[in-house]
Amino acid sequence: MSAARKPLVATERAALILQLVPYLVGKGEVSLTEAADEFDVTIDQMREMVEKLTVIGLPGEGGYWQLPHDLFDIDWDLLDAKDIVSITNTVGLERAPRLTAREAAALLAGLQLARSLPGVRDSDLVTGLLAKLARGASAAPAQVIVAPGPVDSVRDVVDEALRRAVAVSFAYNAPDAPATTRTVDPVTVHIANGQWYLQGWCHMREAMRTFHLDRVSEPTLTDIPSTHGGDQVPEAFAGLEDEGEVTVRVPERLAPLLSGFLPAEAMEPANGVVTARLHLADPRGIKRLAARFGGAMEVREPGVARSATREWAEAGLALYHQPDTQD
Amino acid sequence: MNLVVALMATQHGLTKDHILRSVSGYREQWESGASKDALEKMFERDKESLRGLGVPIDTIGDPADPDDLREARYRVPTAEYALPEDITFTPAEIALLNLAGSVWSSESMSADARSGLRKIRALGIPVDEPIIGYSPRISLRDPAFPAIKRAIEQSRVAVFPYLRPGEDAPRSRRVRPLALVEYEARWHVFGYDLTIDAERTFLLSRIVGDVEVTRQSFDPSLREGAGEKALAGLDRVAATHTALLEVHPGTEAALRLQRRATPAEQGIRLPYVDVHVLADELASYGPEVRVVEPPEVRDEVIRRLRATLARHEDAS
Repeated sequence: MSAARKPLVATERAALILQLVPYLVGKGEVSLTEAADEFDVTIDQMREMVEKLTVIGLPGEGGYWQLPHDLFDIDWDLLDAKDIVSITNTVGLERAPRLTAREAAALLAGLQLARSLPGVRDSDLVTGLLAKLARGASAAPAQVIVAPGPVDSVRDVVDEALRRAVAVSFAYNAPDAPATTRTVDPVTVHIANGQWYLQGWCHMREAMRTFHLDRVSEPTLTDIPSTHGGDQVPEAFAGLEDEGEVTVRVPERLAPLLSGFLPAEAMEPANGVVTARLHLADPRGIKRLAARFGGAMEVREPGVARSATREWAEAGLALYHQPDTQD
Repeated sequence: MNLVVALMATQHGLTKDHILRSVSGYREQWESGASKDALEKMFERDKESLRGLGVPIDTIGDPADPDDLREARYRVPTAEYALPEDITFTPAEIALLNLAGSVWSSESMSADARSGLRKIRALGIPVDEPIIGYSPRISLRDPAFPAIKRAIEQSRVAVFPYLRPGEDAPRSRRVRPLALVEYEARWHVFGYDLTIDAERTFLLSRIVGDVEVTRQSFDPSLREGAGEKALAGLDRVAATHTALLEVHPGTEAALRLQRRATPAEQGIRLPYVDVHVLADELASYGPEVRVVEPPEVRDEVIRRLRATLARHEDAS
């Protein structure tokens, strides 16, 4: 799964072998490829681990070398001929180890986020799992808690559309654009930083589009079967039509705040200032982000984006302008 | 690895002497004349790294003199090592756990989650249809997160520079960190601030430098229930702090704010936990929203809009 597979250090390998024995016992026979994939290692690393396993065993008695049945063993013919691993003798470790506190913490926090999904919400399933994970850990995991978000009827309708595999239609209010009515084959609901996005095939645009669920209103289920439900969704930063590029500058210490908007490659740090290029459907839309940074972000180019930002701040300030005060 | 197998197979434990003479890995070196001192050091090191992997190792001393470890015996208590036999998972639970394990965008958290899942999957439980249609993500943009989490796991006091908005320089805080809480899409650490002798919640984004995990430890039982306590505290703040806003109907501000607010006579009332976090958001809406009260929120929004204007003044 991970792109870069590094060489294993001794303790990592030991940790994996503790998990490997119960896995192999449970599987019976498993291909090297499948096992390597499950353990996030290369096929060669998996072969090496399996071979190492066969020199592990119980201590020999009274100074004698270990006897074959005191060692782990595998079906060598099967491994040599077909790259299939099958464990033929075990001398312990058959049961999976307890979760470490860190493993339990990572899963517990994930579960709390999963709890906010409409189909899962407040089910006994989550409560039961939280208790089981805590009990299956070797030490108390650090509490990493995700606060539940608000319950929302739009999410429920979209969830229903996903389950029934039908298109959903709704009014969509993109910022600074007139409202449109969209019919969409739902593919994925993407949840990041507490924001919910529907990604799906837009019948009007005849393309994959991403919709912020806060901007969706009056959702209704259609009886049109979804024909794009299995499609690939575009990468997080792609998929916008008629993209315009905007160049901004922020102090380097604030740059992490931009990570949700663009890939790290698009940022150039120099002398404590980061120059970043963002892609927006309408370059003028940068005014909202710039105002959020309150002067810490400077919109450089294009000129229309820069002047839109100035006008945005000016119009905002005008609301507070009283006749008897002077700025 | 031979050491684990040997220590698990024994009921009564093995003495260090026995281990060094018979367990493969030590035995070969023993036979080729390695010094006992070097082998004992190697054994101590191996023992520690196994404990680091979560393998419990018991030391059974001489009952007559528990401090005398020369004749101590060592073993791995199987019951504490293995996932308890009575913990089983249903196919639906495994499907949900698979989803829960996929949420981390940070490499180390996601490796921990996958490793935990592997142990559970090794129990050989069939899996339900995967839960499709959702890709929840928890992103960790705050550089302080890993160090704070480590300090919690090890129950150690952490020291970090904390910059409160409006102050010119960060101040060093000395804290017993008890729980990490994501609230309104921001990570907070809840803990006991030793400088002011009180419980406090800190925004991770305001930790502006390296977190030092000190050697000073605290009682791990202080962590119990800390997450719920932190959450309740934040909820309490949100319940007592509200801003009165006028929003322009049909705008982005109306869409985003109205769902979190309650209608009021003059506009809407929006609960919030942090003046600056709220002011950042409200400033982004420009002329779509006007803050009626409280004054501190209004002033912060005006300050942001003025600074934005000043920065782009030359634009025509």
